[in-house]
Order: sequence, then C-alpha cells, then structure tokens
Amino acid sequence: MHDLSPYLSEQLTSIWNGIPYFMPEIYLSALFIIVLITDLLFGKNSEKLCRIIAFTGILLVAYKDIQQYSLASNEEVQMLFNDMLVFNRTSVTFKLLIDCVSFLLLLYMGWDDKLSAHPKRLSDLYTIVVGSILGLHLMCMSVNLLAIYLSIEMVSIASYLMAAYRSESKFSAEAGMKYVLFGAAASAILLYGISLLYGFTGTLNIALADFGTQLAMVNTTGIAFAIVLVLVGIGFKLSFVPVHFWVPDVYEGAPTPVTAYLSTVPKIAAFALLVNFLPSFIFYDKLAVFDFRLVLSVIGVVTMVAGNFAAVSQNNVKRMLAYSSIGHTGFALMAIVTFSPQGLASLIYYLAVYALANIAALVLATYFANATGAEKISDYKGLGLKYPVASVCFVIVLISLTGLPVSAGFIGKLFVFSAVYGVYETNHNVWLLILLITGAITTVVALFYYIKIPLNLFLKKKDSAIPVEKSLNKVLVFSIIASLVLILLGIFPDYLYNWI
Amino acid sequence: MNILSLLIFLPVIFGAVILLMPSAWRGAFKYITLLATLLQLGISIYIYLNFKTGAAFGGINNESQFQFVQKLPWIGLNLGSVGRMQIDYFVGIDGISVTLLIMTALVMVIAALASWEIKSNLKGFFALFLLLDMAVIGVFCALDFFLFYLFYELMLLPLYFLIGMWGGVRREYAAIKFFLYTLFGSVFMLLVMVGLYLSVTDPATGNHTFNIVQMMNPANYTNGAIFSALHQQTIMGMPARTVGFVVLFIAFAIKVPTVPLHTWLPVAHVEAPTPVSIILAGVLLKIGGYGIIRICMGIFPEVATSGAFWLGLLGVISILYGALNALAQRDLKRLIAYSSVSHMGFVLLAIASQTAEGISGAVMQMVSHGFLSSMLFFLVGVVYNRVHDRDIYNFRGLGSVMPKYTVFVMIAFFASLGLPGFSAFVAEAFSLAGVFKSPTVNGLLPYWMAVCGAVGILLSAAYFLWTLQRMFFGTPLFKGGEVWRIALQDINLRETLTLVPLAIMALVLGIMPSLVFDKINDSVLALVSFLQVK
Repeated sequence: MHDLSPYLSEQLTSIWNGIPYFMPEIYLSALFIIVLITDLLFGKNSEKLCRIIAFTGILLVAYKDIQQYSLASNEEVQMLFNDMLVFNRTSVTFKLLIDCVSFLLLLYMGWDDKLSAHPKRLSDLYTIVVGSILGLHLMCMSVNLLAIYLSIEMVSIASYLMAAYRSESKFSAEAGMKYVLFGAAASAILLYGISLLYGFTGTLNIALADFGTQLAMVNTTGIAFAIVLVLVGIGFKLSFVPVHFWVPDVYEGAPTPVTAYLSTVPKIAAFALLVNFLPSFIFYDKLAVFDFRLVLSVIGVVTMVAGNFAAVSQNNVKRMLAYSSIGHTGFALMAIVTFSPQGLASLIYYLAVYALANIAALVLATYFANATGAEKISDYKGLGLKYPVASVCFVIVLISLTGLPVSAGFIGKLFVFSAVYGVYETNHNVWLLILLITGAITTVVALFYYIKIPLNLFLKKKDSAIPVEKSLNKVLVFSIIASLVLILLGIFPDYLYNWI
Repeated sequence: MNILSLLIFLPVIFGAVILLMPSAWRGAFKYITLLATLLQLGISIYIYLNFKTGAAFGGINNESQFQFVQKLPWIGLNLGSVGRMQIDYFVGIDGISVTLLIMTALVMVIAALASWEIKSNLKGFFALFLLLDMAVIGVFCALDFFLFYLFYELMLLPLYFLIGMWGGVRREYAAIKFFLYTLFGSVFMLLVMVGLYLSVTDPATGNHTFNIVQMMNPANYTNGAIFSALHQQTIMGMPARTVGFVVLFIAFAIKVPTVPLHTWLPVAHVEAPTPVSIILAGVLLKIGGYGIIRICMGIFPEVATSGAFWLGLLGVISILYGALNALAQRDLKRLIAYSSVSHMGFVLLAIASQTAEGISGAVMQMVSHGFLSSMLFFLVGVVYNRVHDRDIYNFRGLGSVMPKYTVFVMIAFFASLGLPGFSAFVAEAFSLAGVFKSPTVNGLLPYWMAVCGAVGILLSAAYFLWTLQRMFFGTPLFKGGEVWRIALQDINLRETLTLVPLAIMALVLGIMPSLVFDKINDSVLALVSFLQVK
C-alpha cells in the first residue's frame, strides 16, 4: 500500500478520464440493478414492468453508443482504465450492433409459449440478459488478458443460466448441464493459456509493445501451445470446429429465444474479441512462429464444411439452425483472416445480417411451434398454405441465410468475398482461394438443407386439416418487418454499410 | 421513366396488385397476368420498331452505342483502401438483346394463356409467374454484372416453387435438382464476378465497377489484377483468365443446357406444368446462350477463341446426343425436352465458329427455338390436359380425332425439323454456313463438326416424323379406349389463339428472316470484329 501511494493519483486520474468513454457500460450496470430490484420488489407480477424497463434501458444504452461515435475514431485508439479496455470505432460499432440485436432478443423472449409458461415468469431472465449484455460490451473492448477472461466468464455464466432456464424441462436442464460442463472446461483451458502467456511475458496487456518483444524470446512450441489454448477458449464462444460439439445439443435443448440469444450476440462479441486480440500477434514480425492466417483459414474451411454438411441430415429445426450457425461462423472467419479494414467492415455487415436473419428464423420457428406444435422439419408439411404470410417470411429469411439475391445475406457474402479477393490479389495466398471456393460450395450445400423448410411448407401436401389461426399477432408482425428489412438491405446495403 | 425499366418492372407491379387482391377474386388473376404480358408485348414491339440500326448502333463493347439506356448510381460504398464500390442500375440493349426481348415478351403471353390449366393456389402461381417474368426480362437488359447476377439468381426461386408446387408426381425431385444445378453454376460465377469487379476500374470515375461493357476493354484492367489480360496471373497453376472463362461457361452451359450438364432439363420439363415448361424452353435456355455471347465471349474473347474447338465439340455432342436421346423417348414431353438440348447445341456450335453467319444463325436459332419450343410444349400440354397421359405409344390416329390440333402439330414439327420456309431452317442454315466457313476464315472449327451438325438435322427429322407417324396417323386407337376418345376434343378458341401467333411467327421468320437479321446485323458484325481484334 505504501509503495502504491505515489501512483495512486495517476491511476485515479486514468480511471476518472476513462469514465466518459464508459458511459454505455455504466448505464448498463445501472439498468441491471434496476431490473434486479424491480424483480425483487414486485415478485411474480414484475414481468411486464421488467420488460418495459429492460427495453427502454437498452434503447438508452444504444443511444449512448451512438453518442460515442463522435468520440471514436479508428486512428486514435483510446485506452481505458490502465489499459484494461480499448475504445475505438470498431468496438463502438460492435457494441451498437450487440445492443440492437439484444433489443430484438428482449422483444422476442416473451413470445415463446413454452418459455412464458415458466412458473417463475420471465423477470429473472430479463435481469440475466441485461447482465450478460454488460459482459458482451466488455468483451468487445478487452485488450487485457484478465479483462478478456473476466468478460468471457461474465457472459458464460449468464448463458448457462439462460440455457437451463426451464429447469423443470429435462431437455433444457440437460442442455444447461452440458453447456456448463463444456464451458467450464473451456474456461479452464483459456485460463491456462492466459497464465502461460503471462508467465512468458510478465504482462497481461497484449496491446503493449513489450508483450511482443518478450514473447518473441520464448521457445516457439511454448508460444504456439499457449496461443492454441487461448484460441480454444475464444473458439468455444465462437463455436468453430474442434470446439463446436456443444452447439447442437445446447441449441436444441435451450428454450428457442435463448437459442436465438446464444447463436447471435455471444458470437458477435467473440468476433469482436478476436479482432482486438489478433493485431498484437499478427502485426509483430518476430512472432512468425504462429501463422494465424493459416490456422484460422484451416479452421474456417473445416468449420464451413463440417457445419454445413452436418446440417443436411438434421430433422429438428433448431438443431439444423445450430449446425448452420456453425457454418456461418466458418464463413465469418473468412472475413477475419483478411486482417484488413475492409474485411472487418464486411465481417460486421455479415454478422449484423446473420443475426437478424437467424433471430427471425427462430422467431418463425416459435410461431409455428406456438401455432401447431411443429418442431421437426417434417412437421411443417403442408403448413405453407395454411399460414401463407409466416411461410413466405420464412422463405425470405432462409434465402437471406443461404445468401441468395435479393437479400441482405447475399450482399454480406458478396462483401466478404470481395474483401478476401482483394487480399488474395496482393499476396496470392492459396488458403484464401481455398476459403473462397469452400465458401461457394457450402452455399450450395446450405441451400440444400435450408430449402427443406420451404419444401415441407409448400411442396408437400398434408391431408389432415389443422385449425387455421388468422389473427395477425406480434410474432407475425416482427417476422414481416424482419423480412422486409432483409430484402431492403439486399437492395440498398448503403444504409447499413455506411454506419460501419 | 425509361421504357426498358418500365418493361422490366411492369410485371412486378401487376404481381403486387394480384398479391393485394382478395383471394375471392381469384378468377381475375389470369386476366390481370395476361394484361401484364400483353402490355409488355406492346412495349417490346414499340422498342423493336424504334430500335435504330446502323454501324453507329453496334453495341457490344461500345457503351455509347447501346440504346434505351438508363444508368443510375445505385450502390456506392466507400471501401477505404480498395476504393469505392460502384454498382449502377445500368440497363440498355443492343442488337443481340432486342430480338430476344421481343421473343421473350411473346412467349410470356403464350405462357400466360397456357396458365388457364392451373387450378390451385392461383394467387401464388401468378405472383411467382410475374416475378419470373421480371427476372428474365431484366437479365436480357442488364449491363451491370451485379444487376445481371441479381436477375439471374432471382429466376431460381420462382421457378423452384412453380415446378415444385404445380408440377407432376416427381416435382420435388425435379425442382430441387434444377435449383441445385443452377446454383452450383452461379455461386462460382459470383466468385468470378467479384474477381472481375476488383480487376476492372471505370476510366471515367476511377472506381472499381461491375459494368460489363467496361470489363470488355483490356485497358480498364488494373496492373497485376487477377483477370488482367496483360499480366498472365495464375490460379492454382492455371491461367486465371482461362479459369474465369471456364467457370462462367459452366454456369451458362448448365442453363443452355449443354451435354453433359443437361440432366436437370428432362426431369424439370417432364414435371413442370405447361406454362412453366414453355418459359423454361422458350426463354430460360436462351439466357444460357445469351450469357455465353455477352459475358463469356465479351469479357474473355481470347480464351473463347483459343477454346473454340472445345465449345464447338460440346455443341456437336449436344446436337447428336440430344437427338439420339429424343429418338429413344416414349414420353412426348421428354422427347421435346431432348430435342431442345439438340437444337440448343446448334447455338453453341454456331457461336463457337465466330463468324458473322454463325453468330447471326445462333441468335436466329434462339429466337426461332423460343417460338417453336413454346409451341411444342403447349401442344403437349393440350393432350396431357385432356387425358393426363403423354406416352407416344398410347395414342394412334390422333389426326382424325383432332384434325385442327394435328395441323398445328405438323406445322410445329416440320418447322422444328428445319423445313425450308420456316424459321428453324434459316437459323440452322446460317449456323451451319458459319461453321462451314470457319475452317477457311479463322480456322477455329474443323469441317467434320459442320457435317455432324447436318447429321443432327437429319436425326431431328427422324424423331419428329416418326412421332408424327406413331401418334397421328393410322386408325384411331387409344389406351384409354372410348373415354379418351370423348375426352380428346379438338382445340378450342383459346388454344387456337395461342397457337396461331406462334405458327405465324415461325412462318414469317422463315420467309422474312430480315425481321431478325436487320436488327442484329450491326451487333453481330461489331462482335465479330471485336473478337478478331481481341
């Protein structure tokens, strides 16, 4: 304590100066506490109130994000809280994206009949979600190994709770249990990797120039080992291939809105984390022992192939979407390996569009599950003509997920392809070409399984008549708006792209 | 309002009207669709009549020579170090497109008339029909590769549902096979498109561009770009431009379809309802041929020349293989599907010759086949709707039961097999003349290919005449007996009205081929000289 005193005022100034850049997170913390207290005070009747508070709060946070754009520029990187967090335009964009997607997710949480039937109601869920968003924000900004670990854990713990939210359902409990076990193991591995890196370099701050110089002096096998361990930890959240095995079971078992959550926001945040994590390693010449481009390319190719081909044989809608989300991770990794600003922009666009389409797909899965109890693809037989509007929306959403024109998904694919091509043109790295070709082939594979839903909806006939619900409910309205947005962003991508 | 844009988007407007109308008015949907297609035909006739000809309107690689052009900035994104992404809404036509446009418009009217047989889900059917209509017209007008690709892909989904929902017994299989086949070709086309876009800059603005016309000029390629003509880049050891050409060619060859990529076609045709078969054969196959001329040869002319022999060989194989398969078919619709493969082979062979006669013949063949195949598929539909069977051996002596019908069948058959006086004769004569000329003029194709093409005509005579003899001559005898005999009423007024314009077109184009040749001549000459300069 005595030794610290000369530094204390300096540190306090650093913290104090960081606060203006930390406003969205402060708002989020406050929001978390308010939702929690509301839940405690009003008990079972608090659901609606919590919902409204969470909504308005998230909107406020998103507004704060937008305000931060004026503070942020990519040339000037701002370090916060003694180099714990980084503040730049990219992290702000990622945070804004996460908040927008979270808003949709909060909207969606209350629509699933099975989840709403929960005896404890959903107030707790809203609290957990808001808490996890705080963690996601931190993930987007972490450049310190400790901050990385803490933010990932924050999100993980919230995710475990959500996956097992319907603990009375065997499926949900099983999903939660699996998730916790695998997640704990992944965290341990990540922590081990971090401790090795810390041991090698003597610092936790990966943005520091010292970090690279120190690391370069270490035995190459040691570095590679440590980096692989850290990658496993991050990859668990991204769900790329060697560490993807938890995804299908958890996505299938978790309540559908939670699946929507798990398949979008943590993934976006993990990509943001990877974007912050990589530059310290790849732009340092002496650290050539570990070729990130090669490793991530191989992972990308394998992930695309494995995810898409495994999805072909699925019959459960959520399970199929789980595998397809693995495939999408592989595709997004393709944008990462460009290590270029254009690649980053295309990554954000791709993730934004993927998140919207994936949520819309799961919302529609909820719609059909609520209306008819259909959970398997084969249960959708002949429903297309009975629920024409929802089915047409489903087709549009799936088109976007496949990446066919005219849809936002196609434009996202096009941007990623252009970014990779642009880099290939300059360095002629054969792996980039392999990535491009794999991306193209898996698109065809993706069509093959995505089209199974329209196939069952429209092409297959079913004899038995099912009562038709004509009412235009909010789930349907959401799907219609989402589909229209997906088409509009396919025709005029400028509107979104210019934000990035 | 640009008249081409009006032509492209008119169907969607009507489609939206249909979607918004209550289902109770479903009886009106077919009339609305017919009205849309008729309006479209009117506009396309107006375009045809006002289409200027002359050496100054050649088009092809000269942007200022295109007509009815509309060019609007559409997507402009700042991509930082890579420069700006420039995508234009750029439509325009030259001689190659104008005749195909009017052919498409007429075929669409025919298809709308054939849609009277559709009885279920009328709203969905006609909305998809009109969406498809927009996409095919758009493909023929687009001069921006991005726009072209958009329209090209936009055709797939409506067709998938049109075949899959209103098709025959194996419709699911046929629809998915068609979809996967075409998508397989087009995703790789997407990769080449992105590569081209990053290689080409617009000299006017300095941005990377998707403009097809700019892609034809080797000077617009940036130094060291992947598809630059001057720098021989390689992709995995193969010359990049050859790879680009082959990929694009495969995408279009699937559409044409060229043997061995044709296997989706018989299935799709057999399962598709009549109007969809008409659109498939009449219009969609032409998009393959059009794409090869406009995009493959336009952007990679030197590869097209060096690979001409192989293109010609594929054409010859398609002609012969398609014809021999047609001979072996029992199903009338399958027979006609294979005859399409054979006839489209002429297009490929003639294009490969790279002579003025050959390319004129190819375009003529596309126009002529558009009308004749529509007619043939409509005729098959007539019998099928009456007795739900189209096995050749289940019918005999139709001639005396349905005399008027038989007249049209004979016109269609004789026109298709290349009887002088009909359009197909002119088309095939020009195609073969071009191929015969090729060895002496540019030495691209050997003589035996032309000979094989001529044998193909002979084979087509064989299968058409044999079918005529088996089904229409002799004493009436049907598998279904008296029931069929009563069901097989002669064609009604609507059917006659549908068939008459097609028959007239086949005859008129046979007698006055100048209707087509006058319009395409300047563009064909421009293309040939462009190919020679390289």
